[in-house]
Amino acid sequence: MVELTEARNSDFFYSSLMLNSDMNYKTINDLVDHNAMSNYRDLHNIELLKEIVKGSFSLKSDTVHKVENLIDSFNDIEKIAKNYRQIAFDNNIDVVSCLDITYPYNWKNLSGMPKVFYYSGNYDIIDRMTLQGSVAVVGSRSPSRYAEYATDNICKILGEKGITIVSGMAYGIDRHAHISTVNTPGGTVAVLAGGVDNIYPPKNKDIYDLIKNKGVIISEMPPGQKPLRQYFPSRNRLIAGLSDCTLVMEAGSVSGTLHTASFAANQGKEVFVLPNNIYYENALGGLKLLEDGGNVLLNADSVIDSVTRSLMYKRMDMGCPAELYYQDKIKDDFSEQANIEALRELARVKPEVLTDENWKALIKDSLTLKPLCADELCVLTTLPFYKVSKLLTELELNGTVCQEKGKYSLTFV
Amino acid sequence: MTSKPNVATLYSSFASGADATLSQIEVSISPGIPTFSVIGLCDSSIRESEGRLRSAFKSAGFTMPKGHITVGISPAYMRKTGTGFDLPMAMGILFASGQLYLPPGAKIYAEGELSLGGEVKATPGSCIRLKTVRDEYFDYKIIPLSETSSAGIAGFKGQGINNLTELNAVFDGNEYKETVFEFEQESNPADYLDISLLKGQEKTKRALLISSAGFHNIILLGSPGCGKTMAGKILSGLLPKLEPDELPEVYSLAELVEGGSSKVTFDRPVRIIGPNSTVSKLLGNSQSVTPGELALANKGILFADELPLYKSEVLDFLRNPLEERKVHMIKKGVLYSFDADFIFLGTGNPCKCGQLYEKGNKCRCSVTEINRYLSKLNGPFMERIDLLSEMRSISGSDMASIYVDESESESPAYRSIVERCWQKAHERYGSKYLNGNFPEPDIRDAMRIPENVVRFASDLSEKGFFSARGFTRVLRVARTIADINDADDVTVEDVSEAAQFRKRGS
Repeated sequence: MVELTEARNSDFFYSSLMLNSDMNYKTINDLVDHNAMSNYRDLHNIELLKEIVKGSFSLKSDTVHKVENLIDSFNDIEKIAKNYRQIAFDNNIDVVSCLDITYPYNWKNLSGMPKVFYYSGNYDIIDRMTLQGSVAVVGSRSPSRYAEYATDNICKILGEKGITIVSGMAYGIDRHAHISTVNTPGGTVAVLAGGVDNIYPPKNKDIYDLIKNKGVIISEMPPGQKPLRQYFPSRNRLIAGLSDCTLVMEAGSVSGTLHTASFAANQGKEVFVLPNNIYYENALGGLKLLEDGGNVLLNADSVIDSVTRSLMYKRMDMGCPAELYYQDKIKDDFSEQANIEALRELARVKPEVLTDENWKALIKDSLTLKPLCADELCVLTTLPFYKVSKLLTELELNGTVCQEKGKYSLTFV
Repeated sequence: MTSKPNVATLYSSFASGADATLSQIEVSISPGIPTFSVIGLCDSSIRESEGRLRSAFKSAGFTMPKGHITVGISPAYMRKTGTGFDLPMAMGILFASGQLYLPPGAKIYAEGELSLGGEVKATPGSCIRLKTVRDEYFDYKIIPLSETSSAGIAGFKGQGINNLTELNAVFDGNEYKETVFEFEQESNPADYLDISLLKGQEKTKRALLISSAGFHNIILLGSPGCGKTMAGKILSGLLPKLEPDELPEVYSLAELVEGGSSKVTFDRPVRIIGPNSTVSKLLGNSQSVTPGELALANKGILFADELPLYKSEVLDFLRNPLEERKVHMIKKGVLYSFDADFIFLGTGNPCKCGQLYEKGNKCRCSVTEINRYLSKLNGPFMERIDLLSEMRSISGSDMASIYVDESESESPAYRSIVERCWQKAHERYGSKYLNGNFPEPDIRDAMRIPENVVRFASDLSEKGFFSARGFTRVLRVARTIADINDADDVTVEDVSEAAQFRKRGS
C-alpha cells in the first residue's frame, strides 16, 4: 500500500518537477553541493526555496534562475504530483527512494541511477537478488525460433537456481524470459520505459498481469507517464545496472539491445552472447558483440559462474552486514544473530563444550561477510586445522559452502 | 732372471647403471716392434691410457717393457668407459714383464686412475663398483686411498694405495693387509628451518606434516614471498635420517655423478630443479648411463620450483616416474633402471600475477588467464599429487591475532610424530614402504580402511571432490592422518580432512 507520508509526497513531487520544469540533475547537485539543501526532497519545501532565492548561498545565477522558475510553477507541479499519487493509489503502486534502505544495492554503486522509482508487485524479489544474483536477458522483438528456445531453456535453469531474471517486457525475447521464470524461485523483474501502470506493449497485458502478481514491475517514470521513444535507452541502462551480468539472446545490427549490452560493459559487467548463424541478419549485432570480446553463451553454467563471482566481490565490498537489507529476514535473524554472539563468547571461554553444529554455525557466520581461506578460519575459530578441514568438507558436501580461488564462500542458492 | 709369464690376469669393474659389472683384464707381452693396443670395446679415455702408463712407470721407477703389449678387457661385447682401468692395466704390464712379483694363482682386484707422476686417483662410480666387489672373493684388493669414503660406505675391505711405488711393498715385500675403511660424515649439518616460521599458515603446516609422515607428493601454490621455498627447506628437516642400509644406495649415485666431492651425510638428498629443466636433465644421460635428478633424489625430496612454468613435455614425462617410482633408460637394447622414490614437492604461483589467494581482490587476472596458467597442472599430473595447499602472505594484523610463543621451535615435535608414523608404516608394509609409496594397488585391507569409510570416500568422489584415480590417493593420505592420530583404523574424519588437500576434480 502507498503510504502517503510527507517524504513520499516529496518523491512524487520530485518526479513531477523532473518532467515538468527546467530543473535537472546538475542544478540539484549544485544546490546540494552548496549546502542549500540536504537532499532532493527539500525541493518540495517552498519556504526553503524562497530562502535560496534570497541569495544567502553562493550559487550559480543559472541555478538561482531555475529555482525562481520552480517557485513560479510550484502549484502546477504540485497538482501533477497529486495526480500521480492518485494513480499510484488506485493501481497499488509504491515508490522507493535512493534514501531508503530498500534501494537496490546494485544501483547504489552506479552514478546516474534514478533517485526515485516506482514498483508494483512483490518487492521481495529485488531485496533477494542482491545476494542471490540477477541476470539481464535482452534481445530482439522478433527473434528466431532458436533464440526463443535458448531463452526459455537457459532462463529456466537460472531461475531454478534462484537467480532473478531482469528484462523489459517487450515482445520476443523479453516476453519469453519473463514467462519462463515468473514461477521459478528466482522470479522475474520487468523494467518499463513508461509509468508502471502503463502496459506497453499493450498486447503483453497477459504477462503484465502475471508479473504484477508473482514478479515485480518497476519504472523510473511516475505513474501515468506514457512511454516516450526517448525513455527507452534510459530504461535499458536501468536493466543493465540492476543485474550482475547480461545475456544478449539475439540482436540485429541496429538494436536497443546493443545499448543495454554496452551499458553493461561500461558498468564492468560481463556480457554473454548467444552464438548464431552468421548469414542471419537479425543476429549480426550480437555476433559483432562476440567479435568485440563478448563471452560466448554456451550453457547456463558459465553464467552461473559469472554471477557467483560477482556475488563474491559484492560480499567483499559490502563489508558490514547492516548494509544488506532483508525485509522479512531481519526479524528472524535477530535471535539467530544473538545466538551467534553467545556462541562466539562460548568459543572464547569454553571451546570444549561446542558441538560440530555450533562450530559450523560459527564458520558460516564468518563467511557471510566475505570469503576466507582455511588458515583464516583456523585463526577466527581458534580450532586446529584438522578440525576445520573436516567441518569444511561436511559443509561442502551438503552444499552450504563452496571453494573458489583457494577461499571458501557461502553458496548463494 | 725370474720366470716371466707373458700373460697376467687381473680383475676390475665398471659401473653400468645402478650396478657394476666385474671385468677381467688380461695383459700379454710378446717380442717384436713395440706396440700398445687395448681391445674390448673401450672408449678413448681407456685407449689413451698408454701415455699415462708410460709416464707413471717412469716416475715410479718402472719401465715400459719393449714388445707387443696387448690389453684385453672382458666382457668384450660390452662398451666400457672410465679411467679406473689404468691401475689394473699397469699392474698387468708390471706382472707380465716381471717387474713385480705375481704370487702364483692369486686373484687380484684393482681399480684407479694414474697420474703422470705415478699417483693413484679415485674415479667416479667407485661406491657402485666397490659395493659389487665387496661380495666377491679376491686375494688382493687394491684401490686408491682417496676412495676411502666410498669403500667405507660400501663396506669394502682391501688396501688403499697413494702411489704406484707402494706396489713394490705390497707384492715384492708381501705386506698386503686387508683393512676396513672408515668414512667420515660431513661435519657441518645442513641447516634446517623451523616449521614455526610458517605462522598462521595452518593448512600448509599440516600438509607438510602429512607429506613427511607418509611420503606424499605435495604442491604448494601461493603469491611470491609467502614462504614457498622456505616450506621446502622445512620439509627436508622433518624427514628422518637415512637408514644405514639406505646410505650406500643414495651415496653411490651421488658419487657417480659428482665424483669424490659429494658429501657423505645421513641427511636425505634434496634435489632442486627449475623451470628450465629438460627431460634429459631429469632422466639422466642415456649414452653414459648416468642418472639424472630423479634418480639422485631417491629416498629424499625432488623440489620443483615454479612448477607452472615448466614445459609441458617435462610435466608429462614426470607422470610415469611419479607413479612407478623408478626411471628407466635404454642403451643398445639394454634396460637400465634407477629407483626414483622421492617426495615430489612442487611450488608455484597460482596465476600470472601470483596474487590469486591474497586477501582482498588484488589479482587482476581474468578467468581465462588463470585457467591457462594452471592448465599444465590439470588432470593426470595432479592425480599423482596427494596434497595441495594454498599459501598466502601473512599481514601484520594476522600476526597480532595468531598466538604463538615467540620463536619456539616446533620442528622437533613434528619430527617425532613423523618418526612414529614411519615406524608404524614399516611395521605394516615392511621396511621399504610408507603410505605414499606402498606399491600394491589394493590398499583397503593393508591400510585397514573400513567399509563405511570407503563408502564415504566414494560419496565425496561422486560429489566432485576428486576423480576416481584421486580416490586411492585420498585414502592413502587418510591413512597417514590416522597414523598421525595414532589410530588403528582410518575414520570418516580422516577422509574429510584428506579431501581438503585435493584440487577439485582431480
